[in-house]
Amino acid sequence: MGDTAPAGRRPATDAGDAPRDDTDEAGDAEPTTTHEPPALVVDGVSKRFGSGEDAVQAVDDVSFTVERGEVVGLLGPNGAGKTTLIKSVLGMVLPDAGTIRVFGADVGDGRRAVYADVDAMLEGARNDYWRLTVRENLRYFATISGVAPDSVAARHDRLLDRLGLAGKADTPVRELSRGMKQKVSLASVLAGGAELVFLDEPTLGLDVESSRTLRSELRRLAAEEGLTIVISSHDMSVIEDVCDRVVVMADGRVVADDTVEALLGQADRGTVRVTSVDLDADTVASLRTRFDVRSVERNGESVSVELAVPGAELYRLMDALREADVTLDHVRTVEPDLEDVFVDLTDGERGLADAPSERGWSS
Amino acid sequence: MVVVTAGTHEDEVPPADASAESDRAAAADEHESPRPATYYHLARAVLYREFLVFVRYPANAVGGIVISLFFFGVLFYGGQLLAGQALADSLEGIIVGYFLWTLSVGAYSAVSNDIGSEVQWGTLERHIMTPFGFAPVALLKGVAKVVRTFLTSAVVLVVMLLLTGTRLSLDPLTVVTVAGLAITSVLGLGFAAGGVTVLYKRIGNWLNLLQFGFIVLISAPVLDAPWTRFLPLAHGSALLQRAMVDGVRLWEFSAGELGLLVAVAVGYLLGGYVVFHYATRRARRLGVLGDY
Repeated sequence: MGDTAPAGRRPATDAGDAPRDDTDEAGDAEPTTTHEPPALVVDGVSKRFGSGEDAVQAVDDVSFTVERGEVVGLLGPNGAGKTTLIKSVLGMVLPDAGTIRVFGADVGDGRRAVYADVDAMLEGARNDYWRLTVRENLRYFATISGVAPDSVAARHDRLLDRLGLAGKADTPVRELSRGMKQKVSLASVLAGGAELVFLDEPTLGLDVESSRTLRSELRRLAAEEGLTIVISSHDMSVIEDVCDRVVVMADGRVVADDTVEALLGQADRGTVRVTSVDLDADTVASLRTRFDVRSVERNGESVSVELAVPGAELYRLMDALREADVTLDHVRTVEPDLEDVFVDLTDGERGLADAPSERGWSS
Repeated sequence: MVVVTAGTHEDEVPPADASAESDRAAAADEHESPRPATYYHLARAVLYREFLVFVRYPANAVGGIVISLFFFGVLFYGGQLLAGQALADSLEGIIVGYFLWTLSVGAYSAVSNDIGSEVQWGTLERHIMTPFGFAPVALLKGVAKVVRTFLTSAVVLVVMLLLTGTRLSLDPLTVVTVAGLAITSVLGLGFAAGGVTVLYKRIGNWLNLLQFGFIVLISAPVLDAPWTRFLPLAHGSALLQRAMVDGVRLWEFSAGELGLLVAVAVGYLLGGYVVFHYATRRARRLGVLGDY
């Protein structure tokens, strides 16, 4: 790949600059776009920590690709291997097997070249110097990532402006609120102009307003500047809001890799929630024998039952309820959200059909 | 170091950089083009950061100076009570040794504590993940610390001289060169300790006790036991005594003496860096790099 490329268009240290507009401009010329290596290719990566009985297979033969300009959510419960995977891409963990390519460059060799293009905000890391001001941090870390700070001063101003930090540009980071610090951390990651950024819980500690600003800023960066973003978060609304695609990990493996729409689409549709004071234990038990009851919830006198009743099943349900003399207080269709899909995917064995009433089915 | 972003159409190829970029810049309503940072930018950034922290938080530096002087005061006045005239005879030597010790402690703890702190802050990774490579960045950070340490130790030295009414030969070129090379070996020890701290977070604090070992190295009997010259600090300390007490100028030392000074400095610095390098590599394998 890339054999027809006339030359490396830019040295690796020249981060923050690769114009990606040409992909759009050359939209009508299919073959040319295939020459651009994807932002990230993870191929058969495995990592085991420890040995013997204590050994933990943190990442188990994981493969996926992230195209340029894509915003991908990396989801998984704690211990699913997300952080290990991210650190492997960053070269902070050496995988036991597999290859990782960032913009076509193998992370395994010539590490340094890759670093101009990739940066990360890891969970729990401050990521910047609290004794320096916001702007000093951006300038410092831009330099460390290989970009002359004066040449991106205007970009930094814009970044600070968009993140609502302009007024605090000359304030030492330690004097800022937690949410502000989080935004500075993000800004310092973006300051060097890396084109692939990993953000671990980027909205943690942000209020609703800041979180919304941040999300729209991330979408804008991806759309306008072609930034490729991999977000890891437990906040599904962030993922649903920002990501084009979601890679779900569980026990070190990829259990799903699809667009948000497709994932939502594969979730069970036709779930309804009926609420009534007449839903006694017998009625519920009888419903269980005939329908796919998802959850039962008692709330004082009234009982809510969620059932999967696709298609004509709904009519059968209504008939059954009428036969049982149930007067309905509420009937509501339940739209699955990403969280439901996520729980479904990562909690496969304790499937819903087997343990219907155990788990609250959030809606 | 080249990421090949393949060109598209022939006609687009050469100006792709300029045109696409100016499009983008225009779209963003500004005229900027990110340029690669050079080592000059890197050096400036690292030194400027050190300067900012120094200026903005003078309490730290002043605190260090006060503590240094306090210990010297105890040493001097306590010594006078105990040893009387005997102390006065060797006072010059004590002042030079103490000066070198404050320099060493400054350089060592700056590097090892700095690495420890940066591990905690999550900023160390960002210095490892730099296209410059960690070695030049770390070295520059070390140099920045040494410059800072020289400033504070110079203050301590001047106060010591005034306090005791002692006169020493203070040829800046000679003192800075000899003392600088002497503590370069300590810088190496600092890197080694920093590497161990990356791997085993708690050991870092224990390694700070090494600072007291520097006293032994500074007062090593290089005449009676010449092999001690190969230890960090020892040979440099002996040369510094001759420079400051006897007024020997830099160019008056023999080539062999200066060569050994440089060799010891470079040797320990390289050794320390190798330890750091392997420690971080092992940390990568164990997955403990970037654990907070």
